[in-house]
Amino acid sequence: MIDIFPPFVIYIIAALIVPFIPAGRLRSTFMLVIPVVGAWMIWNTPTGLSAVVPFFGFDLTLMRVDKLATIFALVFSLAAFLANLYAWHLRDTMQQVAALLYAGSAIGAVFVGDLISLFFFWEGTAIASVFLIWARRTEGAFWTGMRYLIIQIGSGVILIAGVAMYYASTGSIGFEAMTLPMTSPITWGALEIGIWMIFLSFGIKCAFPLLHNWLQDAYPAATVTGTVVLSAFTTKLAVYALARGFAGTEILIYIGAIMTLFPIFYAVIENDLRRVLAYSLNNQLGFMVVGIGIGTELALNGTAAHAFAHILYKALLFMSVGAVLFRTGTAKGSELGGLYKTMPLTMIFCCVGAASISAFPLFSGFVTKSLIVSAASKEHYYIIWGILLFASAGVFHHSGIKIPYFAFFAHDSGKRPKEAPTHMLWAMGITAALCILVGVFPAPLYELLPYEVNYENYTTTHVITQLQLLMGSALAFTVLTVYKIYPPELKSVNLDFDWTYRRFLPAALRYISFLVSATFGMVTGAINAFAANMVHRLHHSHGPDGSRAASWPSGAMVLSIAALLGLALFVIFFS
Amino acid sequence: MAKKHDDNPENYPALGRWLMFLDDPKVIKRIVHGIYVICAVLFAMDFFYYKKTYVEIENYTGFYMIYGFIMCAALVICAKVMRVFLMRAETYYSPKDTESEMHPDHDLRKESVND
Repeated sequence: MIDIFPPFVIYIIAALIVPFIPAGRLRSTFMLVIPVVGAWMIWNTPTGLSAVVPFFGFDLTLMRVDKLATIFALVFSLAAFLANLYAWHLRDTMQQVAALLYAGSAIGAVFVGDLISLFFFWEGTAIASVFLIWARRTEGAFWTGMRYLIIQIGSGVILIAGVAMYYASTGSIGFEAMTLPMTSPITWGALEIGIWMIFLSFGIKCAFPLLHNWLQDAYPAATVTGTVVLSAFTTKLAVYALARGFAGTEILIYIGAIMTLFPIFYAVIENDLRRVLAYSLNNQLGFMVVGIGIGTELALNGTAAHAFAHILYKALLFMSVGAVLFRTGTAKGSELGGLYKTMPLTMIFCCVGAASISAFPLFSGFVTKSLIVSAASKEHYYIIWGILLFASAGVFHHSGIKIPYFAFFAHDSGKRPKEAPTHMLWAMGITAALCILVGVFPAPLYELLPYEVNYENYTTTHVITQLQLLMGSALAFTVLTVYKIYPPELKSVNLDFDWTYRRFLPAALRYISFLVSATFGMVTGAINAFAANMVHRLHHSHGPDGSRAASWPSGAMVLSIAALLGLALFVIFFS
Repeated sequence: MAKKHDDNPENYPALGRWLMFLDDPKVIKRIVHGIYVICAVLFAMDFFYYKKTYVEIENYTGFYMIYGFIMCAALVICAKVMRVFLMRAETYYSPKDTESEMHPDHDLRKESVND
């Protein structure tokens, strides 16, 4: 039964209408109104309501309203609004429709109460978002989009296969908390395999270690505005799905810790600043995954709050680097520098985003990340706590300092681009203001969290220790730069795990196919030669001119009959 | 579009012109010294307040700053070593990659203050 109108429907209807509105201010305004209407609907939907529709014998729950779903849906709406404002200048119907369908799918996904509906929206985000990459309309973007699509659709296929096995074993399609089986795989039945497949599909979208490369591959390949849209939804949807399905699963703590760690090494040496941001996005997801793994109320609050703050500051960082790309044609550290003179506002907004991601006091990351780090120490995960501290210092190093430094300061590139267009400045300004507001007044955000928050952020210890950690990191950057140890930005690509499927596996397949075809050729050649030889010899003996084909004279027959009769006489005589 | 260093600061936005003091090497030196001083002050602050801790190691004076410094220095040095093994030319994956492509003009609005 439907109590309420699902907000995703608004986005789908809007996506159908958009192509019929002439590209221009009217359409851009329409694009802005939709997230506002959606957010208003979400805000006014009381928790506990549901919308159930029948589908081939199943009851699909399109709406299950609770605080966890609502906070994600609200921040998705906010992200959609800000991204559409940033893309005010856009006159590309394909990107605008894709952005609406993508945001609608993500918002639809967080409200579903069953795994089949989740699958539909899961694939919806995959299909809609790839057009933001293809909208670049270059050969490289086409191939990158294909890689992205294969991985994203693959995640959905694994999900539905897992759901089928889960349903076959339990008779339920409800999207509720699941227990990840940690017994030996030999003992697994359909249920255990099904749950692991669901977990794996969430893990692919959440960019778990070794499953992560689609993110760093695809996000820098999208359009200026497309990357801002991309940064908000897919991975945070996966974080939501993990929080809903696998909260308190211990293995997530270790997966998350690895996720916070390894991307920061890559971020230090990466040249494309949008890819640096993609690596740091991966690192921030790690914090959220650790929070889900710990699974206490404090930790889950931390995950939800951090996802909220993260969507804003990450969008802000992508917007500011995007504005630089928009005006200069490049987002590479090696090509940039000295832009603060002509793009000072963009620089300031970028610094606000950088301070927020680095969790400086008075900025949003400070009041959200600390919930997760505190949860780790309170639950006695001390090594994880140490890793999270390192990752916090590291993120300041590569996102907090490196991004603004190489884009706006460092060596003067000689580029003198105009300041970003007004609508981009407004989008960045509002996002920056929100980052500071959340940091200074965290109470309204805490009100939205799934559980009650009893946490005091602005204690003397917390503020001073956090500043010490960050300034220690800044000191390392300063010393290494002054003494010219810090690696310069170089035009390059760095091999990551995607090398295995972009280079190694295709090369290995080529080698194997060469071996197999060579062996096949040899064996079939030998068989053919043998057969040909046999045919030749048979032809020689049994062919028209062969000895066997000659007619026998009657004398030979008489002789053979005489021999046969003689043999019979001989046998009879002696028997 | 960008001309190398033969431009006119008059064309810059007012805020950008004001910020140009950041180009002065003396100012940069002062900023670097400022960072050293801030670090020293923050380190010394550990002596002047009650530190509420959950983990044993937090009690060491200046733990957070030392940890931040050492780990980040190690991070950069490790990353530099990684470059030796992992760095390839920009065209390594081309043409099936956007890294070596120019960003297409239809997605940009390149404008210079000197235009």
